[in-house]
Amino acid sequence: MSIGAAGPLIALAVVVVVFAALNPQFRTLGNVANILDAAAVLAVVTCGTTFVLLLGSIDLSAAGVMAASSLTVALLVENTRNDADYGVLGILVAVLLGAALGGLSGLLLVLLKVPSFMTTLGVSAVGLGIATLLFAGVQPGVVDAGLRGWATGRFLGFTHLTWIAAACVLVGWVVQRHTRLGRYAMAIGGAEEVLALSGVRVAPYKVAVFTMAGAFYGLGAVMVTSQLGSGVVQAGADYSFSAITAAVVGGTLLVGGRGGVLHSTVGVLLLTVLANGLVLVGVSPYVQGGVQGLIVVVAVAAAAAPLRHRNQVVK
Amino acid sequence: MTFTLRPAAVLLSLCLAAVTATACSGGPDAGPAGSGGTGTCDPADVTLVGQVRNESNPYEASWLDGGDAFAASVGLQQQRLTYDGESTKQQEQIRQLLASGRTECMVLNVLPNGDSDTTPIVRAADAAGAYLVTQWNKPAELQPADYDRWISHITYDGVESGQQIAGSLFEAMGGSGGVIALQGVLDTAAAKDRFAGLEAALAANPGITLLDQQSANFSRAEALTVTETLLTKHGDAVKGIWAANDDMALGALQALEQAGRAGEVAVVGIDAVPDALTAIGESKMTATVSSDGPWQGGIGLAIGYCVATGELDMAQVAAEQRAFYAEQFLITEDNVADFQDPRTDAADFECANVFNRMAGPLT
Repeated sequence: MSIGAAGPLIALAVVVVVFAALNPQFRTLGNVANILDAAAVLAVVTCGTTFVLLLGSIDLSAAGVMAASSLTVALLVENTRNDADYGVLGILVAVLLGAALGGLSGLLLVLLKVPSFMTTLGVSAVGLGIATLLFAGVQPGVVDAGLRGWATGRFLGFTHLTWIAAACVLVGWVVQRHTRLGRYAMAIGGAEEVLALSGVRVAPYKVAVFTMAGAFYGLGAVMVTSQLGSGVVQAGADYSFSAITAAVVGGTLLVGGRGGVLHSTVGVLLLTVLANGLVLVGVSPYVQGGVQGLIVVVAVAAAAAPLRHRNQVVK
Repeated sequence: MTFTLRPAAVLLSLCLAAVTATACSGGPDAGPAGSGGTGTCDPADVTLVGQVRNESNPYEASWLDGGDAFAASVGLQQQRLTYDGESTKQQEQIRQLLASGRTECMVLNVLPNGDSDTTPIVRAADAAGAYLVTQWNKPAELQPADYDRWISHITYDGVESGQQIAGSLFEAMGGSGGVIALQGVLDTAAAKDRFAGLEAALAANPGITLLDQQSANFSRAEALTVTETLLTKHGDAVKGIWAANDDMALGALQALEQAGRAGEVAVVGIDAVPDALTAIGESKMTATVSSDGPWQGGIGLAIGYCVATGELDMAQVAAEQRAFYAEQFLITEDNVADFQDPRTDAADFECANVFNRMAGPLT
């Protein structure tokens, strides 16, 4: 790992050490489990967003995709609205719906040459529309014991959600490092023309990346639904931007081709630790948002310092 | 050159088509020129419009359903409008509605997105001669009494509701112990007033200590995380959770369940969303407050309809009826069954009764 890539990790370590010194509760194992639980959904969503960012594209569809998947899974497992009880199959359908919506973003991008900013924003609206239709005025509460257990059950002290997130990060890392899809995603972000001129058809890989991102959002939505105990249209409202922020804070650059799943996960942890620590230390809620933003800016600036070149143009 | 012009032309014609289409779908039957003047509309010529942020939450969906129920009771249809919580979209919808030309007998029951959004809506409706009732949000200095067609503004006393649920919470805790408070979006009037109500209740109950207060922005997911953190911080000292709305209360309930402390901590919220009522019925939650969404959806249209048709004379609408706090209802396990199935009571919407739920003038 280069010095540049280690920057966010150092920032994370500093923040952890400072909070641990200021507050004894921060150091408890229970709180560590808390932080990892709170980071779980964002980590999964950020995995998806990271691959899109690696392409040099951007993805704002998480909010809508998650809304659609959340309502879908809540209505397909045992719930308070209808007689469905498809269990794991319902979860699978929700993830596949996420993948389908992600694929749609990708297809619109490569076939119609519409920038990803617009296609994903549009697909997000489509997802919210689907979710609102499915919602139909009555919130579906999740009864299915299996799905509820995702949030409440624990294994070795950590919630099942934490383990699912850890598995996702591992899968994301393997895809990024050891599959053609991951390596091409990186290459497309770095130099798409060069790749195209050397005979690689980039379009299918782009669609595949967006599809995979959608699947991650779908799974993230299932996790949120388990946490909240019901299908909620606003389930993913803040995740589009939080995921992009986490990825960038972690060192996955918006220009594409740089960073990766592990970088982004460090960003997720940094944001989650900050939110947790500021509450524990007792910073007033009226200034918390501001303080959090300030620390993130300082951390990113410090972490990016070694990357700065003379004559570099920043837009 | 023509190549660059063509997409622009297509775009332009598409826009024009969209504008005409939406403007034309104004109301069901045109009716022979609404003739103008206060209170002379033929009941069949009245068009009813209900506008809320979105239909993706139970409260606002029930609001529009209440509007439908009233409209059906007078043999009309309500036009359901939603603007996705976007101020510009709300203004655009209002502009298009009022541009349809048949505004003299139009009744609007509007939930403005924020305080400042009310001013342009009021001005536009008044200029077009449409009858308007607004709810929840308006700037303090803007008064319905200064306008002819803005009949009433209805809102609820957040200080009172914050205090009511705090009372139930403290009672459930046996009058002593620590509470944590989950605040809404800090710069909204609703969050400020409700929290002021909690503070008033705390001052009256010295046995209760406020351990911590955090904002969870009215969001269920944020409340879940914040509550988990606060439970770590304060441990067993937490005996009660006061949330400024039900979504956050439900998030807190989930956090308690995940921490294995469900049933040990009393939880209260505001809004009476269906999930909260279920939780109260199952004794998981202690109390909530209802503003009665279906009534809100119906009452604005009813007031406007009564004035438009002349059944209610504007001259007889008292000054305090032009801007008032409406009655709200504390829901606990004792009376939750009465609220489980939200519906409207036709008697509330009769012209003689439309101001019956006034709890006090808006000051």
